[in-house]
Amino acid sequence: MDRKYIRNFAIVAHIDHGKSTLADRLLEITGSLTSREMQAQVLDSMDLEREHGITIKAHAVRMMYQAQDGITYQLNLIDTPGHVDFSYEVSRALASCEGALLVVDASQGVEAQTLANAYLAIHNGLEIIPVINKIDLPNADIPRTKEMIESAVGIDATDAIPISAKTGQGVVDVLEAIVKLVPPPKGLPENPLQALIFDSWFDPYKGVIVMVRVFEGTLRRGQKIRLWWNGRVLQAETLGVLTPKPLEIEALEAGEVGFMMANSKTVADTKIGDTVTGDDNPASEPLPGFEDIKAMVFAGLYTIEAHEHTRLRDALEKLRLNDASFFFEPESSVALGFGFRCGFLGLLHMEIIQERLEREFNLDLITTAPGVRYLITKTDNSVIEVDNPSRWPDSTEIAKIEEPVILATILTREEYVGGILKLVEDKRGRQKAFEYLSASRVKLLYELPLNEVVLDFYDRLKSVSRGYASLDYHLAGTWVSPMTKLDILVSGEAVDALSMIVHADFAYDRGRALAAKMKELIPRQMFEVAIQAAIGSKIIARETVGAIRKNVIAKCYGGDISRKRKLLEKQKEGKKRMKKIGRVEIPQAAFLAVLRLGDESE
Amino acid sequence: MPLGIYISIPFCKSKCSYCNFSTGVVSRAMYSRYVDHVCTDIAAADQTAASMGGRFERQVDSIYLGGGTPTILEPADLERMFRALRDKFEVDHDAEITVECAPGTLTPEMLTAFLRCGVNRVSLGVQSWVDTEAAAVGRLHTRAKVLEDISQLRKSDIKNINVDLIAGLPHQTAESWEYSVSETLASGVPHVSVYMLEVDGDSRLGRELMAGGQKYHAHFVPEDDLSADFYIAACDRLEQAGVHQYEISNFAREGSESRHNLKYWERKPYFGFGVDAHSMLLAAPNASRQGGDAVAVRFAGADELNPFLQNAPLVRTAVCRREALEESFFLGLRLTRGVCLQELGQEFGQSGIENLTNVIEELVEDGLLQRHDQRLCLTMAGRMLSNEVFQRFLTVEAQ
Repeated sequence: MDRKYIRNFAIVAHIDHGKSTLADRLLEITGSLTSREMQAQVLDSMDLEREHGITIKAHAVRMMYQAQDGITYQLNLIDTPGHVDFSYEVSRALASCEGALLVVDASQGVEAQTLANAYLAIHNGLEIIPVINKIDLPNADIPRTKEMIESAVGIDATDAIPISAKTGQGVVDVLEAIVKLVPPPKGLPENPLQALIFDSWFDPYKGVIVMVRVFEGTLRRGQKIRLWWNGRVLQAETLGVLTPKPLEIEALEAGEVGFMMANSKTVADTKIGDTVTGDDNPASEPLPGFEDIKAMVFAGLYTIEAHEHTRLRDALEKLRLNDASFFFEPESSVALGFGFRCGFLGLLHMEIIQERLEREFNLDLITTAPGVRYLITKTDNSVIEVDNPSRWPDSTEIAKIEEPVILATILTREEYVGGILKLVEDKRGRQKAFEYLSASRVKLLYELPLNEVVLDFYDRLKSVSRGYASLDYHLAGTWVSPMTKLDILVSGEAVDALSMIVHADFAYDRGRALAAKMKELIPRQMFEVAIQAAIGSKIIARETVGAIRKNVIAKCYGGDISRKRKLLEKQKEGKKRMKKIGRVEIPQAAFLAVLRLGDESE
Repeated sequence: MPLGIYISIPFCKSKCSYCNFSTGVVSRAMYSRYVDHVCTDIAAADQTAASMGGRFERQVDSIYLGGGTPTILEPADLERMFRALRDKFEVDHDAEITVECAPGTLTPEMLTAFLRCGVNRVSLGVQSWVDTEAAAVGRLHTRAKVLEDISQLRKSDIKNINVDLIAGLPHQTAESWEYSVSETLASGVPHVSVYMLEVDGDSRLGRELMAGGQKYHAHFVPEDDLSADFYIAACDRLEQAGVHQYEISNFAREGSESRHNLKYWERKPYFGFGVDAHSMLLAAPNASRQGGDAVAVRFAGADELNPFLQNAPLVRTAVCRREALEESFFLGLRLTRGVCLQELGQEFGQSGIENLTNVIEELVEDGLLQRHDQRLCLTMAGRMLSNEVFQRFLTVEAQ
């Protein structure tokens, strides 16, 4: 198809502002799916997966649209993940487009996520089309929403399109705007091939499936291709587009978007942001923007049952097939046995992995408190990276510690500013900006140590703002800080899995709070259990869990022995779910006690 | 080996708040129908035993009517059941025949029926001698009534009397508990059962306690640790008075131990009739065709009245050798005299016992068990934490 008639665009929106509904409506109006096929929200749907035997992550859908000028256009909708942890993926998806719909809920206004992704889109040179959704709601306020888009995002919202994705009102206007305003792609089909990988995933039947945007040249079926940064040479065995049903085609030309299956077994080869070029006639340079994204949050994963360790390893390997951004390496803990040190893009990423391990692989896990990676200059001038408290050097060997810092954007209502300011101050934040976006809406820019954010920042932010605060962040360098290792001793033994790195100013308070929390979480045992917090050899807090006095069935039950047996078995089963450290049984929850320290602070 | 017989009478005038048995308040019209049903089951006992793969035994040396409130029945119904029993079984002339009795329900007619049926032991559900405590959990009697009942029983020559007490009732204090124990001793009964309030979802009080509410005087229930103190105090006090503890909850003057209760802990066979009545029979010699290496069978009737009356099938559990050995510990260790390792070795094979050597040594080291040569028994601490001890004798299921 002539490039003149191609439009590549993305939708930038906050969760629940109607991205999926709008996408459904676009598919319906362009006739890509009949309403019967249209089981609500195709972009989120997995039903097609079973039908077609491949995983359709409908991350780029091709729609054919006959516009009011009588011409049929090819519209490629490229989906973007919606969370702060995946901002790199978002940036690559946006880099594959020439335009973006900025969808804002007419009753909610601009949120931090929208803002961050809108900036990314502007940064990538995209044409931004503001769309105001949910105008059918009684509390929709179009003028105020326009005002907020202008003040927060800084773009002209005069021509923002008012729509209701739910009823379909205004959606045709959106399609017309895409055709008129989004520039057609540049690039020539005869040039050496340059295609951007903006998504890739592993399908158990087909191997790795890669989504590409061709910028220059032509990608042909059967062509030998080379991955610029990875260096591997593969064959483009299958090419196709998602309509959203997969449709195999012979070639993808400059300006087009589609999927490719090459004989690859791991997504680690086809990293997002890499450039696909021809092996025979390679381009002279890669497309810009590739980053080997690094894990920012680290935690230990252990199985409760030692013998499940191999199952955990297999499960991690399987997940890694589909997620190159997540890494793991074996580690062992005196307390927890053999496990894995895992690195994640962020807290949500960690939660997703944990949940998949527990749900899809049926594993019972203990996760140690999440931490970050520190850069330590030792007294002998050597520099080491430490993301595991058990590798923390002795304080006498440390000359300088650098901790990662983020720049956080928080958008909230004025009435919650006080609580949020207190929270970010508590978390050692430094104010960079404080701005009123409208009379009642405030934007805060803060530098915050990532270590404070990974603990309980989200939950506390949510609670002080009653959910009316949105957060976005990106890494913004390091601070030199006096960090120190806090140990927890149970019955006199240091439990390595409970050690954590804290700022020296917070060590005493954290230690005391942690010991108190542990006392709550460790059930009474047959003997007294001492819980201590220590910095080095110095004990800074002590709590005691008293011994249980009785655990006895003092009743006859008329010979009902099975009732007695069941009770005993249930108690015994409960203990199996705890980790035995020395002679003390510690429940899973205790290993994450540090995350729950904020519980009482409200 | 002679059988024990248990008959459950799941009816009460009112249900006590702490009760977690399947008993209830139903119309009197139901009683006679229920007794019919029990009599039919008794008549079919040998067939039931055969179908369950258990060894039927005609000789009986203990009968226990529990509840519920057996004395709520018409005396004629009571007599009907005993006739059915004596028709089917050979009841030893010195058999121990116990009826549980809510104080205040003993009429002269009932006493006469007792004597005609051969009842020679009565267990009184006193629970507390403090009237306000008894009333708070829904007991309908007073201390005076209890004393009157005991005196009536003695006049009828039923001297083998048990008094039930519960430690941990709402409003109980160290003083009031001491009073209940003293009154029990003063009454001169030769047998005492001391239970601890059980908190679970099967009783109204238990549910309320778990929910943290204030119904059923739940907020007046003493702390767990305090009821542990009550229990220990009772053990001491009874022992001093010559009422020896022979099982976690059972205390008796020399020679007055309950033959029937002992059967449960000693894994001797018993046959139960009625709602939620449990049976344990030795495996029949030809039971091997039923599969496995069952040494005994346990079975139980429906645990609610309607399914029972509709002939719901019995639930059968075969007890294999491993489970029987586990039971030997978690039942046998409840007895003050404990278990004899040598005897268990003879019954179950030496290797089964040897596998437990480490567990036993650890528990001895922790002061929960004590060992005298081949005898193993709980210490006082072990008694309080007996569930912790017993769990250690349960095999961890292979994954």
